[in-house]
This record gives sequence, structure tokens and C-alpha cells, in this order.
Amino acid sequence: MRTLLLVAIRNLFASRRRSLLLGGAIAVVTLLLATLSAVSNGMQTNMLKVATTLSTGHVNVAGFYKLTSGDSTPMVNNYSKLLEKLNDPSLGIDHYVVRGRGWGKMISDVASQQGVLVGVDIEKEHRFREVVQVLEGNLEDLKKRDAVMLFKKQADRLEVKVGDPLTLSSPTFRGVNNTVDVTVVAIVKDMGMTSAWSFFFNDQAHRRLYQMGDDMAGAIHLFLKDPKRADEVAATLRKTYQADGHRVMEPAGLPFWQKFQSVAREDWTGQKIDVTTWTDEMLFMRYTLQTFGIVTMIFITVLLGMIILGVVNTLYIAIRERTREIGTLRAIGMARRWVLGMFVIETATLAFAATTAGCLMAAALVAGLNAMKIEVGEAFQMFLMSDTLKLEMDVTTAVVSIVVIGTVTTIASLLPSWRAARKPPVTAIQHV
Amino acid sequence: MTAKSRRKLTTSAAPMVGALAVTLVGALLLPGAASAADAPKPLDPAGVKALVQQIDDRQRNSGDYKSLVYIERKERGKNTVVYEAVMYRRDKDDRFMILFLKPKSERGKGYLRVDKNLWMYDPTVGRWERRTERERIGGTDSRRNDFDESNLATEYSAKYVKAGKLGRFGVHQLDLKALPKVDVAFPRLKLWVDAASNNILKRQDFAASGRLMRTTYMPKWRHVFSASKKSSVWVPREIRIFDEIEKGNSTVVLIKQTDLRPLQRNIFSKAWLESKSR
Repeated sequence: MRTLLLVAIRNLFASRRRSLLLGGAIAVVTLLLATLSAVSNGMQTNMLKVATTLSTGHVNVAGFYKLTSGDSTPMVNNYSKLLEKLNDPSLGIDHYVVRGRGWGKMISDVASQQGVLVGVDIEKEHRFREVVQVLEGNLEDLKKRDAVMLFKKQADRLEVKVGDPLTLSSPTFRGVNNTVDVTVVAIVKDMGMTSAWSFFFNDQAHRRLYQMGDDMAGAIHLFLKDPKRADEVAATLRKTYQADGHRVMEPAGLPFWQKFQSVAREDWTGQKIDVTTWTDEMLFMRYTLQTFGIVTMIFITVLLGMIILGVVNTLYIAIRERTREIGTLRAIGMARRWVLGMFVIETATLAFAATTAGCLMAAALVAGLNAMKIEVGEAFQMFLMSDTLKLEMDVTTAVVSIVVIGTVTTIASLLPSWRAARKPPVTAIQHV
Repeated sequence: MTAKSRRKLTTSAAPMVGALAVTLVGALLLPGAASAADAPKPLDPAGVKALVQQIDDRQRNSGDYKSLVYIERKERGKNTVVYEAVMYRRDKDDRFMILFLKPKSERGKGYLRVDKNLWMYDPTVGRWERRTERERIGGTDSRRNDFDESNLATEYSAKYVKAGKLGRFGVHQLDLKALPKVDVAFPRLKLWVDAASNNILKRQDFAASGRLMRTTYMPKWRHVFSASKKSSVWVPREIRIFDEIEKGNSTVVLIKQTDLRPLQRNIFSKAWLESKSR
């Protein structure tokens, strides 16, 4: 085996040009695969981080309160009772935050904009500071009772700057029109779709606007130690609350603001609990990632197909060129399976060396692209939730790339190697 | 229409509205303005209660009601949109319906209130959606209760503010607060009631925070004889609503061709409205 490996390596060095061409092609494919995966990973990680800080927890315990059957207020009454059920350690909850939710209008002296109104207690929102990038003002001032934070585009649309007054207008859960005067305390960088439709303001101002009592909340955002358990934890909580006598809504796979109409159509009054996951609340994100995943998969399949054809073709040529060599080896007593093994090991050595090189090049490229902080267009910002391209290459993806491409290429070499090994030594030696 | 009801407001006494509102209302009211009236005598609490009850009674019809309505919506930075609609009411059953006729994009859309549920029909998707009673009609500044029968006496408690003048009119100024456990769109109102005709000339709607949200002028009223009521029903001919938060937004409602004859029995149904939408 060791001899075969040595022969294979020597053969690779002996035909440097051919090895470089074939190895280069495999390395480029690996580079592309690893870079595309890094783009996809970067998108997913960034979107998840931003979304689960600004708009949703990994799991959300929320609900709708209907005073009359025609209402649909996104509110949870007596939320302290719901919190008691979150103490179960098996749920794996890292921490939670309580948010206010609503839909209303932000009005300046010159313009207005409708959107999702989010009440936040900035002193308890530790992740918030890590995600938003303040352009003007002070995020800490969001703890002032009449404070609002705006994203850059919102501030531009409303033509306001830090210190300017705004009016929030919305009906309360009893349908009574209400307003709250707020002051802009911070303007932060845009963060995709979330920054297009969400206004973040002080939780107390939110409570005053909706005339909510202390035990009322919009939603409880739960952050899990393992976000991948979101679906399982959500299902467990639905069962727990149902068993506790709460009326629980069926999972609909939609963000809460897309349920206003359907809830208003339903013939019930009172409180219903709605447990959702971050993929429900960020539906557009799920579609974006799925679409990008499908495009990446098609691209990679085409590339892999091309490289397999290239490898098979190159090996055919290489073996044809080396027919006399095969004949000589067979004539001096080398068994067929050794000939087959020699060619397969030669290809495998080349493939795994090239894929490793491709991954290293991809890592360097990803680091370089991240350092360049490439700005993306407005359309992409909406989905990426960032104004710059962020790539993330992980070890698993790199190992998978090496294993998949290396294995596929090695398997592709089996047929020409087997055909080479089958040739009788006399025919092979006479080959011109 | 009586001579008193034809009297018009002047611009000088509209302190809470913007220059545009003053100009519009003034321009509207100057032609045919009648002689000035003195400030009326103040009312005692019993008189206030009777006045609010009278405002409701004068507008209420015991039978059916149908009007052609034009709604003009002006929004800051947007094109003005004019809607033509037919409004139907059956006050004894609390039934109410609006069917939009124009513009083409809104044709067939309608609101229907049955059993205290307000429904909206959108013919483009062929679907009914339940809406809140306090919803803006067609996205304008008008609300269902701007078209519906007046229920001030059952929804609010009234206090007398002062007797004064609104332009050339002698008016009673009232302050109304929503009664406990009554759900209304605006928890506080201010009314300027023509002392001579007992018609509301001006109304201000306040948010729960106390912030002024809308100022409404109803400068022109007409009365139509109702056979079912066996007396006149008073209908505002024109309602001008000014958004006090989003300055520059306003809605004008013109109520035309009021007909108090009995309507078809089955008219207040989803099927009927859908049939008109086709």
C-alpha cells in the first residue's frame, strides 16, 4: 500500500502539468463551493442574530386578545403566569425578554409612517447593543420614558433628527384612539426589512399608548441555549400551556402581524396564546435562505458534474498515454488490482490535496472579503439585514467540501482505472 | 330647510384648525350668510342632557335610510381621491351598509354591520373581513359613526362649557366624556351646537391621551320628512374632517339624495352586497 502511494505521488510529480491542470480544476471547484457555503452561512448567521435580537426570540410566547370578536390585539394578559412555565430546565432557555407589540403610526411634522410598534426595556435587552450601530444620539437614552429609536431610512422619511418630537398614534386594545408624544434619542444604521417596518420605543411609552396594565405584554421572547431546538421547545410549550387551561392557537407559520385579519375573522373573544418560532416570525428570511440554498445546490451540482466529466476525461487521456507503462508493469508481475489501486490512489491523492488547497484558498478569500467590508445594494440589504457582505466559513463545511469532492472525484476515476487494469500486458506493451 | 339651518359659519372663529380649514370653511359659508346671532343663554345640567338627547333624536330615523355620499380624501404628499358610495341604514335593527361605486378601483367594496359586527367586503379577492367598529372608512379620516345614527346620549356624559359664538352663530359649547365601560373611538368630544337649530356645527375628537385628533365641521344641514318617524330627520349635507395630528390630511363628505323610504327587506346581507359587486 505504501509502495502504491509512493508510486502514485511520484507519478503525480512526474506529470506535473497534467496534475496541476486537474488539481487546479478540483481546487477551484472546492474554492467556489466553500465560498458559496460561506456566503450562505454568513447570511444565515447574520440574519438569525439580527432577527432574533430585533424582531423575535428563538421561540416567542405571545397571543391575541379580543375584546369583541372583530378585534385582534397582539397582547398577552397575565403574562407572569406564563413565565412560571418557563422555569423548566429541560426547555434549555438561556434568557428571555418581555416586549410590547402593536401596529400604529409614527407622525412627524412633515410625514408619517405606519409600522410595527415594539416596546423595549433597553436595560434588559443586552443583545440589542451588540446588533445595532448608532449613527447619532445615545442608545442608552432609550430608557427615558418617552424615547424612540429610529433607523436611518425612517428618520430620513420622517425628516427628523435626534431630539425631535414625534407622535405615535394607535387604537388601544379597547379600540379607543390614543397618542403618545415621543422624542428621538438615537438614529441607527438600517438593518434590512426589520428597519423598514419596526419602530423601537420605550416600553413605558408603549404601555401608555395601549393603556396596558403591568401584567400585560406583547410577547415574551425566549432565547435558547441551542436555537436548533426552537421547533421542539415551541411544541412543548404549546402542550404545557394547553394542559394549564390556556387556549392555544394552532401553529400557522406566519409572523404575528400577518395574523391580524385571520384572528379578527375568527368568532371568539378573550385570550389565546400563540407560541411561534423565529422562522415563523421571519417568514421572508426562511424563503430567502431556502431560495439561496436551492440556487447554491444547483450551482454546485453543475460544477461537480463538470469536474467529474473533466476528471474522467483527463484520466482516460492519462491512462491512454500510459498504456505501455501499464503493459510493462503487468509484464513484470503487477496484479490487475494493484494497477487499479495505483490509479485510484493517484487520483485520490490529487483530489484530496487539491480540495484541501481549495479550502485554504477559500478561507483566505473569505477573510479578505470580510476585511474589505464590501457594501451591498439596497435590495440585498433588505434580506441580508446588513449593509456589508458578511461571510462565515466553518470547519464542518470545509471538511464536508473536502470529503464530498475528494470522494466523488476518486469514484469517478474507478472506471478508467479498471479499464486500464483489464488490458492484457502484450496488447498494452504494443500500444502506440 | 329653514332659514336658521342655512346660516353659515365665518372664518374668524375657528381657532383650533389650520389656515386651510379656515379658508375652506369660510369660503363655503360666506355666500348666503344670514344675520348675526347673539350668544345664547347658558344651559343648566338638565338642559344640557335634554340638548344632547335632542341632537340624537333629531338625526335618528325609526325606519330606513339611504343616501348618496361623496367622500374626498386629501393626504399629505398623495393624490386626492374621491369616492362615490351609497349608504344604507336601518336604525331600528342597528344595521348599516356602505357600497362604494367609484373610483373604479374601489367599485363593489363595501362595509356591512350586522349584529354589532362590522364586515368589509373586497370584491378583488371576494372575501369578507371582520373589522373593528371604530375603523376608518375606506382609509379616509371618516369613521363608521360619522355616517351612522347619533348615540351621544347613550355613549357620553355631557358638561356645559360656555355659551358663545362660532362665527355668526350663537352656540352652546359642550364637553362630552365617554361613559365608563362604553367603547368609543374617541373618549372625549367637544361640541359647538347651534343654539337656534340645535345642529352640531363643530366637533373636536380627542385621544385618550387628551390630544386633539380631529376637528369636524358640519356647516350645512337639511331635514327630510320621515313617514315612519312622522317628523323630520336632520342630516348633515356636508362634513369636513381635519386631521389634527397629520396636518394637511382632510376628508370632505357630501351627503346627497337622502331617501327615507323603506328599503328592500333583505338588503342588509352579505349576499346582497356581493351581488351588487359583480
